[in-house]
Amino acid sequence: MRIAAVIVLLAVLLAGLFAPAIAPYDYSRQFRDSPNAPASSQFPMGTDDLGRDRLSRLIYATRISVLLAPAAAFVSVMIALLLSAVTATRRLWVEHSFSALTTLSLSLPWIFLFIILRALLPLNTGAIPSILITFGLMGVAGWAWPGRVFTASIRQMKKSGWLLQARAAGVPPWRIARIWAWPRLRALAAAQFRILIPAYVLSEASLGLLGFGVAEPLPSWGNLLAELQHPARVRDNPWILAPLGLLMLVMIALEALQPSRDSRQLPGAAS
Amino acid sequence: MRLLNRLALHLATLVAVVLAGGFLAAALVRYSPGFDSIPEDLNTALSPETLQALHARYNRENSLPRFYVRYLGGALRGDFGVSQSFGQPVALLLRQRAPATGRLVIWGTLGGWTLAALLAWTAVWLRRSVLTAAAASVSGLLLAIPPAVLALAFFFYQAPLGLALSLGLLPRLFGTLRAILEECHASPALLAARARGIGPLRIGVCYVAGAAAPQLLALLGIAIVLAFGLAIPIETLCGVPGMGALTVQAATARDMPLLCALALMITFLVTFVHAAGDLAAGDERA
Repeated sequence: MRIAAVIVLLAVLLAGLFAPAIAPYDYSRQFRDSPNAPASSQFPMGTDDLGRDRLSRLIYATRISVLLAPAAAFVSVMIALLLSAVTATRRLWVEHSFSALTTLSLSLPWIFLFIILRALLPLNTGAIPSILITFGLMGVAGWAWPGRVFTASIRQMKKSGWLLQARAAGVPPWRIARIWAWPRLRALAAAQFRILIPAYVLSEASLGLLGFGVAEPLPSWGNLLAELQHPARVRDNPWILAPLGLLMLVMIALEALQPSRDSRQLPGAAS
Repeated sequence: MRLLNRLALHLATLVAVVLAGGFLAAALVRYSPGFDSIPEDLNTALSPETLQALHARYNRENSLPRFYVRYLGGALRGDFGVSQSFGQPVALLLRQRAPATGRLVIWGTLGGWTLAALLAWTAVWLRRSVLTAAAASVSGLLLAIPPAVLALAFFFYQAPLGLALSLGLLPRLFGTLRAILEECHASPALLAARARGIGPLRIGVCYVAGAAAPQLLALLGIAIVLAFGLAIPIETLCGVPGMGALTVQAATARDMPLLCALALMITFLVTFVHAAGDLAAGDERA
């Protein structure tokens, strides 16, 4: 199962990376004589209402959704790691303040928090800034869960016998951090990174459906799924469901590669 | 005494989180675009010096601390200001929209909880590899579908949207419920009960629900928060006039007073639900 998942993800990743070479046309090229064309040899998945090739748009969308979700997850984990490490080594009130901030962030449903932050920024942005805003905000707003996990782990380490022994033996703090603490945190960070990726892939899809995701004409799985709001079109051209099928395939593959339940520490990866 | 201490701690946390949430909300409103404009800006008869003096006075009167105290005072009286996009009092809008969201979240949570518990029970109790794999596959498959897409399908086939929310919630609860049940299943007390021939229903009620009540109650709090998050796209895409749809409308119109009131209210509700869950779980443990 895990091997199959790795093969699927590698194939999707390669398709995303080499999108310009694989896609038959550019994602924004319009064939004005063939809007809403059915599947044919020229357009294997048909065209959308602006006459753009669906297959090409799906390949380019894969590039954005699959490559940027890990980048956002990396940002979240790095912010969480940095904040946890800094606050855990300071005075108790700093640690408590950080804990309160985490509680406040976790108090709000994630999508609600994102919508509030998104509303503060211009809504009519260009395509490239919309990508940076969408995935950048995901990365910044998603630090709380990993932050809580790292803080708990650091707190546990601070109480451990080996740390006391190392400090008593005069081992400098940076050496303790590098030799003992980092390998433990690194394993946790890798687990959190893997948990956040499917969550962000799914979140981008939900935000795209709501119109808060990546802006047109750039395709993403989210804005391609927005076409599902027109059932008549889906009946005419079932290839509209292809982005959903690919998204589900990638999500199942990512789920199959998830770390064991013990290292997750949160109910359900994607919310 | 321990209960009183815990109650005081949770109350203090609730107040602190709401005060912090209120400060963030007030800061968002205070620094939202257009807040620094005054009606006199349109008066061409006024000199630049006069306008500058008027702006200075306006900014002094609306400095963030003063504005925060005023905003919080109003919020405590139920006055959250007037919505910029709807032109109606925010409190009235919230009162009108809350019942639809409440119904969706309650039915969705109940359904999601029941379905996830049934699936976890099947996976843990029946101990058949086919059923365990089937339960995990159903959960994995539902996790792979965006809840908004699920809701659209339910909407087009005129199925109840509460069930769509339940199915969206199911995979997010299944893993934790399964872990809790596995822990109970392996406990010596339950093994002894099964050896004595006690029926599955009695085992479920007396042994599992009793032993796992603290964890189940804590999970219920998380489930409600998740359900509200799922309700936002469901309401927006399916035209349910609830608070989720209102949030998206407020965000699209950059209606800061409405958005901040929603943030304040949801922060309060979620913190309250978490505190109640923790307290109840603590009582069970004690």
